[in-house]
Amino acid sequence: MSDIAQGQQSADVTPEAIPAATPQREPRVRKLNIIGRRNLFFFISLIVIIPGIISMATQGFLLGIDFAGGTEFTVAFANHPSVTQVEQAVLTETVHGQNIDGSVIQTDRGVFIIRAKPMLPAEQKIVTDDLAQKLGTTIDVRQVLEVGPTIAGEAIQFALLAVVLASVAILFLLAIRFHNLPGGWRAGFQFGGSALAALLHDVFLLTGIFSIMGKVMHWRIGEIDSFFVVAVLTVVGFSVHDTIVVFDRIRENLRVSQRLSFEQVVNLSIMQTAARSIITSFTVVLVLVAILIAGGSTQKGLALALLIGIVSGTYSSIFNAAPLLVVWRRFQPLR
Amino acid sequence: MQLVLSWPVRVFIVLVLAFSLFVDGAGYVYRIANHYPLTGNVPGLPPNFGGWQLYIHRGLDLAGGTHIDYRLINFPPGQSRADVQKRTIDVINKRVNALGVSEPEIRGAGTNYDRITVDLAGVTADQAQKTIGAVSKLVYTKWVKDDKVTNGPQAGFRPAFTGLTGDDIQSATATIDQNGVGWVVNVSFTSRGGGLFADLTRANVAACPGAGGNCAERHLAIWLDLTQKDIDNWADPNYVSKVSRPYDSACLAAQTPDTICGKFLTDPVTLTEITGGQAVISGGFTQQSAQDLATGINSGSLPVDLQVLDVIQVGSTLGAESVKLSIAAGLLGLSIVVIFMILYYRVPGLLASIALLFYAAVILALFKVIPVTVTLAGITGFILSVGMAVDANVLIFERFKEEVRAGRTIAAAVDAAVRRAWPAIRDSNTATFVTCVILGFIGPAQVKGFALTLGLGVAISLISSIIVTHNLLAIVMTGSAFRRPALMGVDRVRNV
Repeated sequence: MSDIAQGQQSADVTPEAIPAATPQREPRVRKLNIIGRRNLFFFISLIVIIPGIISMATQGFLLGIDFAGGTEFTVAFANHPSVTQVEQAVLTETVHGQNIDGSVIQTDRGVFIIRAKPMLPAEQKIVTDDLAQKLGTTIDVRQVLEVGPTIAGEAIQFALLAVVLASVAILFLLAIRFHNLPGGWRAGFQFGGSALAALLHDVFLLTGIFSIMGKVMHWRIGEIDSFFVVAVLTVVGFSVHDTIVVFDRIRENLRVSQRLSFEQVVNLSIMQTAARSIITSFTVVLVLVAILIAGGSTQKGLALALLIGIVSGTYSSIFNAAPLLVVWRRFQPLR
Repeated sequence: MQLVLSWPVRVFIVLVLAFSLFVDGAGYVYRIANHYPLTGNVPGLPPNFGGWQLYIHRGLDLAGGTHIDYRLINFPPGQSRADVQKRTIDVINKRVNALGVSEPEIRGAGTNYDRITVDLAGVTADQAQKTIGAVSKLVYTKWVKDDKVTNGPQAGFRPAFTGLTGDDIQSATATIDQNGVGWVVNVSFTSRGGGLFADLTRANVAACPGAGGNCAERHLAIWLDLTQKDIDNWADPNYVSKVSRPYDSACLAAQTPDTICGKFLTDPVTLTEITGGQAVISGGFTQQSAQDLATGINSGSLPVDLQVLDVIQVGSTLGAESVKLSIAAGLLGLSIVVIFMILYYRVPGLLASIALLFYAAVILALFKVIPVTVTLAGITGFILSVGMAVDANVLIFERFKEEVRAGRTIAAAVDAAVRRAWPAIRDSNTATFVTCVILGFIGPAQVKGFALTLGLGVAISLISSIIVTHNLLAIVMTGSAFRRPALMGVDRVRNV
């Protein structure tokens, strides 16, 4: 691919070969002044993020079974009992003389999710057999998840470690990619740092909204599990994806348009790449909506998290990452 | 660019596509080659080409089955932990084979060789746990006088380990007893076990001469899984009465530190010294219980104790439902993206859609060839990567429009678009790839599946968008019929 890089450089040094970058041919560029209104966009982000942070700090999260530990049965009863009937049966259920501390959620006609304290497979069988007998019907055990405290602790560790590692990796990845600009490594870390800030924006927005959905609205889809961590990390990758496209254009335009101010270059680059960012996100959003409509219940939580995160990621890469870069430049001028 | 557009690359792409389609349709290729009907059950599936089975490996959440994570505790001192873990896996393998599970997966894990993960398709958690965890360690005890003991098989005596255990047994077989009525288990000892057994029986016979068979010291009791803790509790009548009940495998499978399960097998009197290294265990067995015991003894005892960390049991109905839903979601997602790309980008969009189908064909083939165990999370990663796969195309096409607006010829615009979009495509995909690598290294199993499919998706989508779309664009754009602006999705095109 070295021929591509060389080709690009040779094209970049001849200004008339890049008419696309001249302002006259891009009338829309001057109309939308994103950089000038950056405080408005920061404000919009904060309005969405702050309630989420408050909810996270005061309410915490609705934990999925793999973080909370315990046993989760997904069962279907043939005679479609009511929630109350199942609850009655579960509340009085004991194994080896100890109550199972169960709770019941109905997901479909005759289909229930029963949460209880951790128990071994043989005990699980006792419970399901008992329940079928109490309700006077047959039971179809669709899924049993049993997570001990060790695994639950590891899952939480994994979640934190993954987000931290991904953030650090991306900061350095960007610093390396952008350190060959005027300003050297300091420029590199300005780009990397701004991308990181946009990325943390998405992480906090997503986790905050899930905290609100799970703990304030008490929706089950707001549950945090390993899949949610997967969603957060995918969003991290995606958000950086979008941010890099903008930054890459800034790098290219900085080389070409020496006469423009840094603000102007950034605004121009945002306008040149916004269409692409929105279209790409739009196709992914379409796919996610497809999963939300047609997918199974496990996938829906993942799809919703990705949906929120990707919309946020697109917003932050256009309206936060590059404007932040401009703010940073003001405090630490490099040219 | 010369390289990407060269004929060898094009030929290579066509070969990759042909191979992928062959692998994707391997089942149909097999049916046609053997003149079988195209639907319904036929013998010999999954297809096997020269020892190579080509089919989608479904994970437990799709196939139904049980996943258990064990922690190994009570490592025997002075042995390499890696070795102990390996032996434990071997024993579990032997036991699981008795269940007849297809492709059982038993893997060691853990930073300190202290984890084993077991995946068994089509088995309930209860069955799996009974087979793996509850198989018995045979223990021989002799009786030692202890006045504090008031009940049990021998009142006034507590059991004491003799050093003879299931480890000293070469093999065990279940047979009908001499009278042809009940079932017994024939045991043949190893040379060490034979020697020990001879010593024990000699001591038995020598004990309390004159008392006939009526003294406890002449008995040699056999237990399953009797521990030192049990013996320490022998003065507690309540405890002893529970432990001395007949061996209860169901209870032991569900054992918690507080439960006391029956562990008693038999307490025969020794009539003569037995030197041949052969013995018979009789204890009112049924055919089933005799065979179970023999299998249990044969598959050896575990060198460590297993502690259950987590269990995932998925019923087969849920798995089948998930597969259906996932296929529906995947097809829906793919068609929406194709329709959108064609409407928005016209001819280039159509070409990108063709590249997308190439991408899907190659990915599916890779899943079969590698093989990737496909899970629900993996499918979600794959569907997501379909959306992301068009990203590189969108970058190129947006750039293409700009270049055309800027007054370039179509051919020059294609070339410039691909060239200039490349750094952004490279950098952004590297970021996603880095995330996948992190997830793949530190994530739990189901997260690893997601990372693998998404990572593969990113890699293949790069090839498909850079090489396939570019080639298609270069070929199609040379035809003058395609140069109409409306077909390009741009306002105006300069004539060449």
